Amino acid sequence: MTHAVVEAQGVSRVFPMPAGAVTALRNVSLHVDRGDYVAITGPSGCGKSTLLHLIGCVDSPSSGSISFENRDVATLRESERSRIRLTRIGFVFQRFFLLPMLTAAENIELPQAEAGVPATERRQRTRELLEYVDLADRAGHLPSQLSGGEMQRVAIARALANRPALLVADEPTGELDDTTGNHVADLFDRVHADGTAILVVTHNSALAARASRRLAMKSGSLMP
Amino acid sequence: MVLRVTCLGVACCLLFGVNAFPDEPVLPDVLVTRQLAARAHLAVGDVVAFTTDQGGAPATRFRVAGIYEPTPDPMRFTAQRMEARMHLPDLTRMTMDSTDPASAESVDAINLRLVDPAAAQAFQLDVRTRVPGITAYPTARSPDRDPFAVLDRFHVAISIVTVLGGTAFLLALMIIRAEERREIIGLLRLVGISRRSLLAAVLLEGLFIAAIGAVFGIVLALAGQGIVNRIFQARYDTALVFVRVTPSIALRSIVFAVPLGVAAGLAASWTVLGRDVLSLFRR
Repeated sequence: MTHAVVEAQGVSRVFPMPAGAVTALRNVSLHVDRGDYVAITGPSGCGKSTLLHLIGCVDSPSSGSISFENRDVATLRESERSRIRLTRIGFVFQRFFLLPMLTAAENIELPQAEAGVPATERRQRTRELLEYVDLADRAGHLPSQLSGGEMQRVAIARALANRPALLVADEPTGELDDTTGNHVADLFDRVHADGTAILVVTHNSALAARASRRLAMKSGSLMP
Repeated sequence: MVLRVTCLGVACCLLFGVNAFPDEPVLPDVLVTRQLAARAHLAVGDVVAFTTDQGGAPATRFRVAGIYEPTPDPMRFTAQRMEARMHLPDLTRMTMDSTDPASAESVDAINLRLVDPAAAQAFQLDVRTRVPGITAYPTARSPDRDPFAVLDRFHVAISIVTVLGGTAFLLALMIIRAEERREIIGLLRLVGISRRSLLAAVLLEGLFIAAIGAVFGIVLALAGQGIVNRIFQARYDTALVFVRVTPSIALRSIVFAVPLGVAAGLAASWTVLGRDVLSLFRR
């Protein structure tokens, strides 16, 4: 039994393509402990996002193993991995990916509803999260009525809705200007300080600098 | 004015269509169809004369006691219903051969209504056996000789083709719609919304759309029914109902439409839900 939220050992990922197999990850080992804040940097196409998908229980490795909270992900059914993504992992993306037909509050409520949180409890939690990301006055706004920074803060609130053990972020400041990106980075610091482990993949050196551990990737491998 | 009319199967001629005999003491009553009244400009109380002679004599005078709408007959909906109804003694008197006193007693045909309509065939055989020379036959058409049975089968075939074509069209639309929502479905699955929840949502959505579509179709059919009936009733001057959307037809439409709509929605959604999460984000 370890304190790692997630642990990858000797993980490789090969994508079969018509023109020949593409190896995106080669023998990668990584662990993210409780309360950890890990940043992965590297050039485009080096395998950062692929690693993130494996850590986030979205994809399966071609070889090696990944365990999430001491459970071997390879042995889990899709429904069990889906449950882990819902309740134990929060996702933040470069393009926000809010549901355009739902308001900010409804976007945050959705994963809670799926997790079976009672209506009164999830409304309370949604209010808290909107205050946490300083958007209490934007609860009823649609994503189209929010700025990029506001959408990303709603996305972070949604990711935190079910109190995950790990927050996984893929280029969270990629579509934001420096000032707005810094606000999002500040918010990540708060989330980390509140005890949630964070794994962020980024080109943003300022954001990476805030992490407690920084890892570099190149050609599908983590640099020593 | 002379018009040929059909009167209980006897060819007669209407000679006078006006109140030509106001001082006539007591005349037998006759009922004329709405169409005949309109053609001959008759009104209740008018005196008319009927004869079976093409030449016009001798004629029997009647007083128009009423105007009626003839019972619509789908086998004769193109016929002009120039008809009159009179009491049997009046008809007999009008049609009898004065040189043959027995002619008033002759009977060409008798219509019988059986207590049990299913016994028609047995009754027909019985009459033929007992009274050779009398032709007995049921007026009800057997299904294999009923032209409307053929029409019914034709309608069933058209409806099956329409339903299959509609389902294919709906399926194509649903697949396009599912493809448009591919990224959203991918996102939902990525954040942990289960396939079962998404299928349930699709099921509810499909149920709602199919139910709305079925209700819309029924409303459209009801509106179309009124328009079609009015056009053809005016065209053929008849009260015959050409199209009727019955509760049974409406119920069958819903029974067919809703499951097919839901099945089409589920089949279309499975083309997206069946894929792995990451493929939903790839273009």
